[in-house]
Amino acid sequence: MGASFRGTFEFLAAQRQDELVVTSAGNSSQMWWDITRDPDRTFYLDASMSLSTLLGSGIAYGLPQAQVWAFMGDGAFAMNPAMLMVERDLDLPNLVHVLVSNRVYGGTSDIDLPNKPANDYIAMAKSMGMERCWSFDSLAALEDGFDAAFRGNSEGHRFVVLELDPFTEADRGADDPPMDGPEIKFRFGRYVEATYGVKVFTEQL
Amino acid sequence: MSGSPDTARLVVEQAAECGVELVASLPDNWIAEVISAFDEDDRFRHIPVNREESAVGLCSGAFLSGTGSMALMGASGLMTLIYAITKINYTYEIPLMLLATLRGAPGDKAKFHVSNGLHFLPSLDAINLTYEVIDSRDKIPMIGKIYRHTRTVSRPAVAILTRDVLRGDA
Repeated sequence: MGASFRGTFEFLAAQRQDELVVTSAGNSSQMWWDITRDPDRTFYLDASMSLSTLLGSGIAYGLPQAQVWAFMGDGAFAMNPAMLMVERDLDLPNLVHVLVSNRVYGGTSDIDLPNKPANDYIAMAKSMGMERCWSFDSLAALEDGFDAAFRGNSEGHRFVVLELDPFTEADRGADDPPMDGPEIKFRFGRYVEATYGVKVFTEQL
Repeated sequence: MSGSPDTARLVVEQAAECGVELVASLPDNWIAEVISAFDEDDRFRHIPVNREESAVGLCSGAFLSGTGSMALMGASGLMTLIYAITKINYTYEIPLMLLATLRGAPGDKAKFHVSNGLHFLPSLDAINLTYEVIDSRDKIPMIGKIYRHTRTVSRPAVAILTRDVLRGDA
């Protein structure tokens, strides 16, 4: 048993200040949109098969003045766990890799992950040299540890595991972000341009 | 195969002129010299990646921060990217510059690249992925043109380097 998916995301949304957010396939995109209705500061990267935190890394690398939270489900993580080698090398102090662990492929009917009970994501991260790792299995624990794990810049890359329950039947009715890819790109990119003064769509020629 | 330092230098200069800052790579030994040249050049942050898909994620994110980037890989690596490219770069219309090798072409004696000789370019054609084969030294400036083209059309494109160019023989 983990924490409530919706309750945890509601807490994170309430704590969010000016962080840029990248969401991953299915559950995290759906829940984040349903709670925040944020079309500009969030890049909804659906079904990327494990690339959401690397996309977030690219954003964080180019915008050291920004804070980036990048969500990833453990189904995606299982497809490419060695992404942490790359993230460890980059060691970006403004990136939080948020691993949403519910031990199922939440975007595809909650089919179990392989090796479900034994997977230890923190141990995997530490085996790749990660030093700043947190795991929260209840909302109370997350509330206590939130500032250290999420707030501001740190000494380097952070890896946070949220042990959550799968979606409830009510959660499944949450709205998906009603935008196609190019709209997501332009809204997010225009926000980045306006906020950080960089040129995303012009002057890259 | 030993690469040509002169070719590597020309490739790196093309990237620098385009404003590339972040370079992600996974090696094919044909481009080892090019990868080393990026790694040793302070104008770039070179990031070795664990698999080619990771380079797609990283470079696509860099675009969204206004940072120029390029991904280097072999033909086999690019063959693994059909989903990542179509899912991320086609769906969201995010530019991506790829540099790859033309493995499996005549002159490549590696038996393990026979499949690339048969299927590499047809696979790129099948997903309408724009590419240019760089088969002579005087075509190396095409790399800059292809990079700028990715930004114009908001799509990925590939500069594919032949063995002879990378050896400095063409």
